[in-house]
Amino acid sequence: MPENRMGALRKQAKNRGGRRRKNLWLDTMVLPGAVWLLLIRYLPMFGIVLAFKNYKAQRPNTFWNNIWKSKWVGLDNFQFLKSPDTAVMIRNTLGYNILWIILGLIISVAFAVMMSELSNRLLAKSYQTMMFFPYFLSWVVASYFVLAFLDPTSGMIPAMQKASGGAVTNFYHETEWWPLILTICNLWKNIGYSSVLYLAAITGIDATQYEAAAVDGATKWQQVVHVTLPNIRTMIVILLIMNVGKIFNADFGLFYNVPQNSGSLYPVTQVVDTYVYRAYANTHNIGMSSAAGFLQSAVGLVCIIGANAIVRKIDPESSLF
Amino acid sequence: MTTAAGKRIRGRTASLNRFGAGTQAAFHIALGLFALLCIVPFLFVIIISFTSEESIRQIGYSFRPLSWSTQAYQYTFRLGDQLWRSYFNSFLITAVGTALSVLITFLYAYPLFRKDYSRRNFFNFLSFFTMIFGGGLVPTFVICKSVLGLSDNYAALIVPMLFSPFNVIIMRTFFQTSVPMELIEAATIDGSGEYRTLFRIVFPIVTPGIATISLLVALGYWNEWFLSLLYINKNMNIIPLQYLLMRMQRNADFLAKNSAMIGADASRAAAQLPSQTLKMALVVFIVVPIACAYPFFQRYVVAGLTVGSVKG
Amino acid sequence: MKRFLCLVLSLALALGLCGFAHADELPTITIMFHGSNVTDDSAVLEKVNEYIADKVGAKLEVIWGTWGDFDEKATNALATGDSEVDMLFTCSWSADEFNTYAKNGFFEPLDEYFDKDPEFGDALKAALPEALMQAATVEGPEGEKHIYAVNGFKDTATQNTWDINVTLLKELGYTVEDVQRLGFFGWGEIFAKAKEVKGDSFYPFLVEPAVAERMVTNTIIVTGDSGSVNLLSYYLDPADVSKADAKYGNVLLNKFATDEYAAFTKQMREYYLAGYINPALAVAETSNDTRTNAQKEAAYLIGTQSYAYGYEYSAEVIARGVEVQFLPCTEPYVDTTVSQGAMMAVSSASQHPEESFRFLALLNSDPYLMTLMNYGVEGVHYTLDEDGLLVFTEERANYTPWTNGMGNVTLLPDTQAEGKGFREAFKEFYASGKAVPVLGYIFNNEPVANEMAALSNVAAQYSLALDCGAVDPETELPAFLEALNGAGMEAYLAEANAQLEAFLGE
Repeated sequence: MPENRMGALRKQAKNRGGRRRKNLWLDTMVLPGAVWLLLIRYLPMFGIVLAFKNYKAQRPNTFWNNIWKSKWVGLDNFQFLKSPDTAVMIRNTLGYNILWIILGLIISVAFAVMMSELSNRLLAKSYQTMMFFPYFLSWVVASYFVLAFLDPTSGMIPAMQKASGGAVTNFYHETEWWPLILTICNLWKNIGYSSVLYLAAITGIDATQYEAAAVDGATKWQQVVHVTLPNIRTMIVILLIMNVGKIFNADFGLFYNVPQNSGSLYPVTQVVDTYVYRAYANTHNIGMSSAAGFLQSAVGLVCIIGANAIVRKIDPESSLF
Repeated sequence: MTTAAGKRIRGRTASLNRFGAGTQAAFHIALGLFALLCIVPFLFVIIISFTSEESIRQIGYSFRPLSWSTQAYQYTFRLGDQLWRSYFNSFLITAVGTALSVLITFLYAYPLFRKDYSRRNFFNFLSFFTMIFGGGLVPTFVICKSVLGLSDNYAALIVPMLFSPFNVIIMRTFFQTSVPMELIEAATIDGSGEYRTLFRIVFPIVTPGIATISLLVALGYWNEWFLSLLYINKNMNIIPLQYLLMRMQRNADFLAKNSAMIGADASRAAAQLPSQTLKMALVVFIVVPIACAYPFFQRYVVAGLTVGSVKG
Repeated sequence: MKRFLCLVLSLALALGLCGFAHADELPTITIMFHGSNVTDDSAVLEKVNEYIADKVGAKLEVIWGTWGDFDEKATNALATGDSEVDMLFTCSWSADEFNTYAKNGFFEPLDEYFDKDPEFGDALKAALPEALMQAATVEGPEGEKHIYAVNGFKDTATQNTWDINVTLLKELGYTVEDVQRLGFFGWGEIFAKAKEVKGDSFYPFLVEPAVAERMVTNTIIVTGDSGSVNLLSYYLDPADVSKADAKYGNVLLNKFATDEYAAFTKQMREYYLAGYINPALAVAETSNDTRTNAQKEAAYLIGTQSYAYGYEYSAEVIARGVEVQFLPCTEPYVDTTVSQGAMMAVSSASQHPEESFRFLALLNSDPYLMTLMNYGVEGVHYTLDEDGLLVFTEERANYTPWTNGMGNVTLLPDTQAEGKGFREAFKEFYASGKAVPVLGYIFNNEPVANEMAALSNVAAQYSLALDCGAVDPETELPAFLEALNGAGMEAYLAEANAQLEAFLGE
């Protein structure tokens, strides 16, 4: 008996030692990334104080000294929120983001499922290749393409309207078209990318699961619902949570370049990022742009923690942390 | 278990494992139309790059220009050294950056998936938190430039993008969905070390994931120009092609916004600016290598697709 | 914790900086220019460093900022206290706006260096007119006035002109006198004729909308006003630009609330609806491309152009292939904005302010150095013809700095393209500019910075479309004015006028 106990204890001790050693090995794997994060992401975070300071050059003029000695101004840098445009830009930022998160999710999952189920592999591959293409192009380039369609003098649509004798739509001054145009642009650029992520997740699913389902007599539709979707659930939830975290941020190029920075369209194209950019271009106030960035981060953090908490309650496996 | 029964089951599975012809056709239409929509802009950019200035002036951008011209490309080639050097830089930065970045991401994501790793939550959060919270552009610039010496060198164009928490999460998800814990436990019992397990056993399973993030990282590096703007001041020999293009674009934008203040000088400078067709030609230069490299990646990204075909 | 981190980091930084200084070598000073197109400066810098080694006691390096990247680079260098950038271009319209950055302590006051190095300081004072020196003397962090920059010689007077395609005008049966007689509000008949002759896709009126607005209403830019879209107007007497307009007097007005502005937008609307104005001009990002291209191809009848002396003889205008005449709206005038059009400041983060000052003083007073920096090396970038005029070689394409951005261009020799006596005439022309009554007034917008941010967004939303006639002023102008009031226009205007009164009282 005692000998057995001793053996068990020794084994336990050895296990603990092995576990510690294993953890150390895993530590070395994490190390390079962790060092990078500390240096390039965490170290600059002291800059958050800029949001609460009136940043000016001090004597001697070095960055640290300037930050250190500049005056605290409380929430003065957040005054930009008092502008009458605030409601519009928040509505636009949140509205477009929510719409696009939902649409993007449905369409890209649908496309990924379709692509995985096509029996013609060659065509499936070609579709995928082509759908990824817009992701290569910057918004500046994409904006030329939109312009080619909508340009009031030589664009394709106005030219067609002219040819058929109808009234010419001056797209860059008429707000009602832009929610649709921006939505199309956004989906066009991002669907290919996110469906590749989903597709890659689908291809990782163990084929025997489908066979088992088939043996049980499940139709293909049933297999999609009961095998594919549950298996990519984690990926869906993670992308969803991350998008929710960015709900207060907007894709700058889409809202700035694609509408050609047209003033008349601000009511439907002004978002937090463009507003801050435009205000910064006029005032060059580091405090204000830091404040805006801080605000976006803070809102994002609250949203993401909230979303994660909900997910954790329903499905702990899929939660982000 | 007779052979006949086995055959019957296999036959039924085959039919149940595929959508009917009608559904397949519907899929083809939906995907095909969207795919076409995605490729058209690039064709359009190519067409514009070969369109004559005269035609643009008369009818604007069009799929059917009045006349063709290779002038933009001739001009591009006259950029000579600068063009090829930047091209080379783009390749170099992308290759080195992607290799390093994927390695670091892969190494970072793996322990985060291991449930038996005790500091898993900590490092998970360490990475994740930076996706939401950052110090802002100016403080990051100071750290990179003054503290880390990222200035006028290739490192300045590679290091700031070396790691992406987003890719860590993607990679970790790949581990979670495709690597069974039992496999790792079995390897450990067989006496395989952690690194050996990772590279010999886990790596081959997650190649689709590796290919996916390689693609994302490579695209990121290839399209990057802002780092050059921030960190390259004197050594213009190391700027990538993307920055060459963006600089032209930004020059034009700046002159447009400030012409009233700069006065006649702005008109003078604007007259020297390259035409739209030249910009499109440069876009072609930028996009073509990616378009060529993508199918290569895709073979791995969709290595799974062949796995999928086995199941059918 | 943060304190500690800051301390450790600043120590590390300080040590890092000290570590590299070599006692026996000359210090390196770095200058950042705007608008350059330079790919190879080795030949020039070699000569420059030979020349300045003894005189300045430093070695020069150059950051050739381009139009597109200068703003970002300059503001980053200044905001981060980057000691690697010793001198940089600044002015009233670039992102490192002279008055703001001087006021916030980012530039080194130069007064003491004039005294420390009298040889250089006196030469500089002799080379630059008093007025330019005055314009560079502004308020610093404590509210006291100092010389914060070496002021260059870019077009030191403003003159806005109507750019007329005379060849086409003659073809239509009109003369430049007709254009002048009919005036902006009466050009409808000429435009109609042009449209009739040249076809429907021809747009005769090629405007830079904001400039056209100033030209028609006789207003000037107020320094310190919102940069991208101006909000304030100061009305000049068109007959004598040294006087304020009799109707309004010495006062700043909401640009968009005057009768003159309403009349301007109404007329533009009429021209726009009649098809005389290209709709692409009314969209911010396409506006200037469209204008530049049409100007290049002479596809216009009347346009706007801010004039620089000798512009009609420049290669760009000649390349249009038609006879062009620039019809001035007023005499040339000097306002604060133009008097701060191109300057060079020393960063207060510089470790070598003395050497930097000496270099700037030498550059702006020594014809050899200015010519070398601007036009390159004789025999490489240019040769001299028998009259002693400069002829550029092909190598010049690799070395084309922005001439007016570099400093005292009156030191430069005449080029063959400009002709003999160009620089003399240039000096004379700009000396003739009359000072506007509010010359020297700089609006310090800091007390109303938040209002300005909001107002500039509102103005960007409405003004371009209105200035161009793309939207109906009947409905849009009242909406615009209401939006401006909602964003704090009253407070903004009150602050600007209070400061103006204080300025005039001085």
